[in-house]
Amino acid sequence: MYKLLIISFLIFNLSADDLTIDVSKQVDSLPSLTLENSTRVDSSINKSFLRSLMSDMNVLSIFNVNRRSYRVDFSDENVARESKKSSYVLRFKIVPQDSGAYKTEIKFFEQNRVIFQKSYTIHKKRLYVFVAHTIAYDINKVMGEDSIDWIKKKVVIARLSARNKSEIIITDYTLTYQHIMIKGGLNVFPQWANKEQNALYYTSLSGSKPTLYRLDTTTGKRKKILSSDGMMVCSDVREDGKKLLLTMAPNGQPDIYLYDVRSGKYQRLTTYSGIDVSAQFMDFKKIVFISNRMGYPNVFSKIIGKKGVEQMVYYGKSNVSCSAHNEYIVYKSRETSNAFSRNTFNLHLISTKTDFIRRLTATGVNEFPRFSKDGSAILFIKNYKNQSSIGVVRLGYNKNYLFPLKIGKIQSLDW
Amino acid sequence: MKKVLLTSAVVAALIFTGCSTKDPSIDATKNSTSQQSSSNNSNSNSETVTGTDVVVDENANNGSDSNEMSMVDLEGEMKSVNFAFDQYSLTPDMADKVSDNAALANSKASAYMIKVEGNCDEWGSDEYNYALGLKRANSVKSALIDKGVSAERISMISYGESNPLCTEQSKECWAKNRRVDFKLLP
Repeated sequence: MYKLLIISFLIFNLSADDLTIDVSKQVDSLPSLTLENSTRVDSSINKSFLRSLMSDMNVLSIFNVNRRSYRVDFSDENVARESKKSSYVLRFKIVPQDSGAYKTEIKFFEQNRVIFQKSYTIHKKRLYVFVAHTIAYDINKVMGEDSIDWIKKKVVIARLSARNKSEIIITDYTLTYQHIMIKGGLNVFPQWANKEQNALYYTSLSGSKPTLYRLDTTTGKRKKILSSDGMMVCSDVREDGKKLLLTMAPNGQPDIYLYDVRSGKYQRLTTYSGIDVSAQFMDFKKIVFISNRMGYPNVFSKIIGKKGVEQMVYYGKSNVSCSAHNEYIVYKSRETSNAFSRNTFNLHLISTKTDFIRRLTATGVNEFPRFSKDGSAILFIKNYKNQSSIGVVRLGYNKNYLFPLKIGKIQSLDW
Repeated sequence: MKKVLLTSAVVAALIFTGCSTKDPSIDATKNSTSQQSSSNNSNSNSETVTGTDVVVDENANNGSDSNEMSMVDLEGEMKSVNFAFDQYSLTPDMADKVSDNAALANSKASAYMIKVEGNCDEWGSDEYNYALGLKRANSVKSALIDKGVSAERISMISYGESNPLCTEQSKECWAKNRRVDFKLLP
């Protein structure tokens, strides 16, 4: 009760920029947006592109998006008669090029006046969803909102397809584009190796020992990095790509190691006799990780090279994974001591500067949270009623969006 | 409707035919045994075990000792060890199973390496779950070493939740999946 009072008190004392506060914008108060489609009806990507673009406009969370779209000639100076009530209109047209490429043109209207226009070209049709994401990125910028670089990023997932079988898939945050990068065997925990997203690390569990590989996604060439008895996972890649946080267990003991990509040397960071895993860089000097050193799994932090750890989370009976961005930590927590109740694992957000906790999910098993690089969004895995989905939390808008996987189960992800 | 009836009738006929063939097949064995008896006298009963001899011969061809069973057969004799939720320590009954496996590893399976595989239930695909599988495997490895199995023969791997024995949403199923399996390697 005492804690509740403190929390209630803090709610009124936190600044409006604190992401741990729920921000509720009523849909009715948002400006309306209507899409106008000028693409030829018989175009093979007409419907799927419209669907993706409409979804992206919803995810922006700044518009009340009209579920109906209208057909109009791209060169028309005025918006369609049906669109006139809308505050904003986004008109698009996809034109196949002789080269096999696809050119997408857009016009963005505010009160029947063009305020932005641009064209986008892709050389492979199946990349169309990334055009929709890029348009969403641009519209968000035109509207003066904070940058959402994450919307254009590729996402890498491990999909469990059968017992002891998985695939590493490169996708987008909506799972619309899917390219199977690695198939056959059991490969898990993919992690982008750099900002350019042209290489990734992953763990192969197909041999006698877990082995970490680095794969160049443009050439398909892979290089063995390290193997360890029992467990070998790349938990995080430092922003500059030069250091990795690994979980290894050379003596059967899962601990966290710092690996130098250039020299190939590694340094053991934790020595606790229980479980230390899932380390994430908070910055170049500090990490957060999961440990059961208090008798149950919880989130701790540590300064690299120094002894001692700090407990970061004081709520939840079993906090088994986390992600950090500046002073914020999002973590997966078991809500009840009954491991088999419906309300199992939810995501919570805390700030290390306050005691306030914001619950981000409500049902099912929600796990593997990962902050976007700018910290404005969280990507996570949701398993509910035998369906595996990617979820996106837009922190500043108090909105969650789910994108289900049709086949299999998502084991892990990175973006 | 007619089709359904016809199908049902055919299925019923097949069921009854299936049932009726069970007894005759036993009879047929008896007949063959009796035929063999008549031709091979008292050795006829031994001949029904001929299949086992063939397996031993195959092992011999593969360079194995005639008293040694195949790697796969031995693997089948090794008992999986099941764990409680979120636990990785061995209880006395689990230690007994490991003890039996150690005895096997030091006798009939002494020529093989042992891969100890840690597994978890479906409650999480995160690293912690994999670490839990590993700690289970490590508890079992320590117990094997205590029982005289050389540490150099043992390797470990954790499959986390990715290697389930069953996928139903039930406590029984999840309990089956929280286990350590034993595999033999040449």
